[in-house]
Amino acid sequence: MATRYGIQLAVHLISSHFGDLVAKVCECLLRKGTLTLRDIIRFTELSAQQVKNCLLVLIQHNCVQAFSTVEDGGLSESRIITQYMVIFNNIIHRMRFSKFIMIVSQEFDKECEELLEGLLQHGRLTLAQLLDRANTDKPEGKIPVVHLGGDRSRIHVRVLKSGFHRASCGLLCLSGNSFLMIGLSLTIKFVQFVECCPAQDALRESFNRLVNAHYVERCPASEPLLELKTDEAPSRRGAKSAKIARVVETTEQRALKAAAPMEAKRFLVVTNTGSDIHGKNTVDMPSNEITGEKQMKDEYMQLDGALGGAVCEKEVVWRANFEEFVLRLKQKVCVASIRAQYDDGAGVVLSAMLEATRGTERKIRGETSGPLSLNAIFEEVMKTEEGRTMTLEHVRSSLNQIGCKLDTAGPDQSYSIDLKNIIDTAQRDEVELIVLKRYGKEAFRMFRLLSRTRCLAETNKISDTALVDKKEAAKILYKLWQDDNVHMVRPTATSTSDKDLCLWTVNKDTLWKHVLDQMYHGALNLSLRTLYELEQEREILQLPREKRIGELGKRYERLRRVRILMESSLMKLDDSIMLFNDF
Amino acid sequence: MNCFCSSEHLGFSCYMMLVVPMNRSQGAGKRKRTDASPGTQSSLGPNEHAILDIVKGKGDMGIWIKDMRDKVNLPPTVFNKSIDSLKKNKMVKEVKNIKNKGRVHLVAAEFEPSKELTGGDWYADGNLDTEFITILKEVCFKQIDVMRVATIDQVANEIRKSNYFNIECSTQKIKEILNTLVLDNKVMTVTSNGIGEFAAIPAGTLCYKSRPKGSKQREAALTLIPCGVCPHTTICTPDGIISPKTCVYYTK
Repeated sequence: MATRYGIQLAVHLISSHFGDLVAKVCECLLRKGTLTLRDIIRFTELSAQQVKNCLLVLIQHNCVQAFSTVEDGGLSESRIITQYMVIFNNIIHRMRFSKFIMIVSQEFDKECEELLEGLLQHGRLTLAQLLDRANTDKPEGKIPVVHLGGDRSRIHVRVLKSGFHRASCGLLCLSGNSFLMIGLSLTIKFVQFVECCPAQDALRESFNRLVNAHYVERCPASEPLLELKTDEAPSRRGAKSAKIARVVETTEQRALKAAAPMEAKRFLVVTNTGSDIHGKNTVDMPSNEITGEKQMKDEYMQLDGALGGAVCEKEVVWRANFEEFVLRLKQKVCVASIRAQYDDGAGVVLSAMLEATRGTERKIRGETSGPLSLNAIFEEVMKTEEGRTMTLEHVRSSLNQIGCKLDTAGPDQSYSIDLKNIIDTAQRDEVELIVLKRYGKEAFRMFRLLSRTRCLAETNKISDTALVDKKEAAKILYKLWQDDNVHMVRPTATSTSDKDLCLWTVNKDTLWKHVLDQMYHGALNLSLRTLYELEQEREILQLPREKRIGELGKRYERLRRVRILMESSLMKLDDSIMLFNDF
Repeated sequence: MNCFCSSEHLGFSCYMMLVVPMNRSQGAGKRKRTDASPGTQSSLGPNEHAILDIVKGKGDMGIWIKDMRDKVNLPPTVFNKSIDSLKKNKMVKEVKNIKNKGRVHLVAAEFEPSKELTGGDWYADGNLDTEFITILKEVCFKQIDVMRVATIDQVANEIRKSNYFNIECSTQKIKEILNTLVLDNKVMTVTSNGIGEFAAIPAGTLCYKSRPKGSKQREAALTLIPCGVCPHTTICTPDGIISPKTCVYYTK
């Protein structure tokens, strides 16, 4: 949800990662919405080349998605227009890359962590580029890279198959129109696996594990074409379907949907050792790779004509799958929330349930976990260290406690858990804690009463139920209302005694949005303050370690502590932002 | 319990004052009291009679003294004398209006003052009896903590049995107190399923359970940073007079 401070935070993140020019283009898209290249140039008052370069950076880092629409030309022919939409959530995800890396490091080995780091650092990479990057850090695993200059017409590259124990040759024929690299120069850069190293297979293996776990996915289409919306035939008068309010899909949502690769293709790993775009494939498969897949013609980046022609890429381009990371973090939050609300046993049971049904729940907004029988849950609980002491009865009791739904329809009784309900409770708790800290215990009590009843309540009724002095209650409610925490309704006075009657309620939608905006503001301020502190002590940071002694040493130590404190606070605040924005 | 020993000493008179309205409140608002012993009307003069008739006519809401003065139109000295006489004979009583504490209402001794006037059972002398509420909450919370899971009746019975208070705490009162504990997030409501810790409680009964230890210390992430509690956050901008760069709270 791009709120006022959300936009400022996003612009700040882009500015600190890619500079002011890119931030300017990003801000323009965030504030004005989806635009064409010409409009971006007009609004930003930058040169066409600058805007193109900025868009390239943003697309490379998955912050912008291009798409084409057909514009009705009236009497003349209709024409295709390329538009650029900013993906706000992907920008905000940039501040939580460390969390994503942490998830992978907890589940997999160091190599997986490095591969993911590469993808997060560069946005989108081919497997070859990824492996190349990983190997450049290791002297023993270095692969020679051959830069070949060539023309667009025909290039022959001799490719040696990578792998320690298998070596094969293939001739790769390339047509100039099919494979081009980024940029306007015609220099084509290929990796020639002249030497093989044992690290290669291990890296590929790690990559496959990341893809199989859905942490890495194929990039979406660079510029999907959106078809014109055809007007549907008017529905029958009084038809039942007409009475149901339908959710209208925005152009941006349609573009994202159109760009997304098919689910079957999204996590498909194919290794090409040498292929002909016109001819047959030469596919060599490791044990866990799939054969028979046709040559992937995914475009890497294809901008409109103004950007200097189509730009394609030889191989499939990969990126980190933020959805999967968000889903993992959501599950962690659910477990932590249940643990705090009930006990460790309930947390263990929920964690086991989510782990066992991991493959079935892939959608971030998925509201329930997959169904699981009691025995399967118990089996999963037994696998954990904390769960070994739990009995079947204890597990059953915990399942009831956390509100699992028991489905008795099938042959085997199965349980499923409502994750949305857990997230709703966690959100409500977060807002209530903010009220407690800002306005005190009595306000907290009254706010909880209003947020739980979800209906209008009169001042006296609130003070009676919350046992707060009537005058004090009115004052507190007024203060809460001034800060947009509660909503006040003044009914039309029917008598003089009703003149001062005030009804109060908590409007969840507006309040949650308001709280999220405050969180973005807090995150922005923390980030700005951290930068300011670092800027103030830049001299000390540049000093070599041996010179940081005495007073300088103390200043360095202080700076280090301040930085740790602020960055950890930012991470905690980001958890709350995710709770309200992503889960 | 230590907490109660001190409170008993401190607040005994206060509880004694509360016990009367609590017992009375069980019936209808206009129920005539039987235990009071007002003086005989034969000893009253004509002015007192006139005043008493008006006060009785106003029922449990009584009448504001100023309104009464305007109504009877007596000289101030005579009026005050008559009122004093009625009070002395325990035929009327003064009750502070909860909505306007400067206004004292005269209510006939036979009537239980309206909740609208007194503020309800938890009010004493026009003020919320916070001391009593706090102690009662503390006792209820400790009781639930000891029992782990308890119904309203169980808590009420335990409190009655233990003789913590010299007054009788009705189940309704205990329910109100438990509800405020739920609002304080100190206890939570759960429905018994009849197994495990609910074995002694019939399934489907509403129970109260204390929150697990440690969950109370949590703070919202937003309020852990200065901006979360700053009153000037709405006028704080990156390059403004109030900005994160110049904020003094970050230096503390």
